[in-house]
Amino acid sequence: MPSASLVFQSIVLGVLLGGLYALLAAGLTLYFGVMRVVMIAHSAFLILAAYLAWYAHRELGVDPLLTLLVTVPLFFAVGVAMQRLLLTRLRPATLTMMSVLLTFSIALVIEGLLGYAFSGTQRRIRLGYSSASLEFFGARIAVVKLIAFGMAAAALLGLYLLMKRSRFGQALRATIQHREAAQLLGIDTDRIAGYGFGLGLATAAVGGTALALDTTIYPSLHWHWIGPLMAIIVVGGLGSVPGAAIAAMALGMTQSLLQLELSTTWAQTVFYVALFATLALRPQGLFGGRLAQRF
Amino acid sequence: MASDSVSPVSGSVSPASGSVSPDSGSVSPDSGSVSDPVSSASDFLLELDDIRAGYGRAALVLRGLTVRVPAGAVVCLVGPNGAGKSTVLKVASGLLAPRSGRVLVDGEDVTGRGPQRLLAAGVAHVLQGHSVFREMTVAENVLLGGYTIKDKAVVAERVEFVRDLFPLVAERWTSLAGLLSGGQQKQVEFARSLMVRPRVVLLDEPSMGLDPKATSIVFDQIVRMREAGTAVLLVEQNARRALETADIGCVLDLGRVHITGPARELLADPQLGELYLGGRPAQPPASPKR
Repeated sequence: MPSASLVFQSIVLGVLLGGLYALLAAGLTLYFGVMRVVMIAHSAFLILAAYLAWYAHRELGVDPLLTLLVTVPLFFAVGVAMQRLLLTRLRPATLTMMSVLLTFSIALVIEGLLGYAFSGTQRRIRLGYSSASLEFFGARIAVVKLIAFGMAAAALLGLYLLMKRSRFGQALRATIQHREAAQLLGIDTDRIAGYGFGLGLATAAVGGTALALDTTIYPSLHWHWIGPLMAIIVVGGLGSVPGAAIAAMALGMTQSLLQLELSTTWAQTVFYVALFATLALRPQGLFGGRLAQRF
Repeated sequence: MASDSVSPVSGSVSPASGSVSPDSGSVSPDSGSVSDPVSSASDFLLELDDIRAGYGRAALVLRGLTVRVPAGAVVCLVGPNGAGKSTVLKVASGLLAPRSGRVLVDGEDVTGRGPQRLLAAGVAHVLQGHSVFREMTVAENVLLGGYTIKDKAVVAERVEFVRDLFPLVAERWTSLAGLLSGGQQKQVEFARSLMVRPRVVLLDEPSMGLDPKATSIVFDQIVRMREAGTAVLLVEQNARRALETADIGCVLDLGRVHITGPARELLADPQLGELYLGGRPAQPPASPKR
């Protein structure tokens, strides 16, 4: 039986992990909300951002967080280009299905390029504060985990404010909820959908950098992430950013607690158990259906 | 109008009546007289001229349709299912590009331009069914109606205008639009469409799915739009009610206008009534709403 302090430590780590999951899943669910696209390559971009952070640190000696100044706008632009040049060419009738194949191939290309450029060797960023930790009511928390959580929280808050308060956010929400009506109000829905896609990919830049602070990376690591992230957005309700955030926190905490008794591999099955249970009992997810459009 | 003056099947009309014209004819709402479609083209705010349109590679839905909407008038399109009524509105608002023919707004050729350009030209379109943004508040919905307006003072002035015109919108300002009843949602859609001060509003089946009370409110609001100086091109399954409200009626069948004329006269025609208005003789309204 684990001690109370160990359980508390696991809960704290679960919250921190859940926050990161929430950010990563928010991007993934945004693609689906905007375009009904299943973006298998999201986690490959995540690993690409992590590699860029690692490379910039190794070659230029810059803090990984500074790479965000480049990777966020870069990924946004790549997302817009992907939507405009590739995804809009898919037939609307088969868009969702074909997007799986298209983005799967993009993931393979990214993985191949990373392997070609950096080999399959595992990489890790060593920072001055990598081994630093804080004590919080008896629980020891790595500083890098706190930073990653802070980045995720700040990015999610920024996403929320952008969607709720900005003119672009209003137009994006309108496009998600009723594309034709949005068009008739003068909203350039194609452009807005492109920006929405770019926004989703920009979250991968933030998430990847956060991941690089605390994780050993290798080119095929994205396969390890895509399953849990897909499970999170289905459990939360496809297209629902708040649903994804809540499901991410719940599953992240559960995974962390299960690791007390089970191995890491077995603990990860919680995502798939939750996925099967959701599909069997509530296929629209916790916040699916109409609620999926709410922010 | 003499009942034998109109032949709905052929679209022919008795020249003696001077009130109902076949196919491409148009009517002045005030005089109820037939206007010459060529010489008086600039008198019309919106003109769809010899439109041929369809979806994808499928067969044509509109086959040489001509409809003209004078300023400040309510023009109603009635006809059986599949006649192409909603398609007319999609062509008029730029959602569907015609394969041939011309769309003119105030005499300017806007054929093939998208919804944004048509909106800028003064054409607003309220879709069939419910098209409110359900997970946004009434306020957010209405403000999105002014998305293309850059000047905040103008937006504020337009908000006050629509809140005055639609008291329910003002009452439910902070409510989630998806929680309103069908009739209330329709009023939000009307208010939203008027934010840009359109010159003509295209209404597609505004009473669809509404109970009689809500339907009455919706038609009252159409009258109020006309009183506010906005022309309306109305597509409606509830043909009798629509013709009672409209100035001009157009009967569509098989993708073209079969008959057009003053709405009251179409309504009074028993032959039309039997064929297009529910199969019973028409009872002309005592005092149609104007």
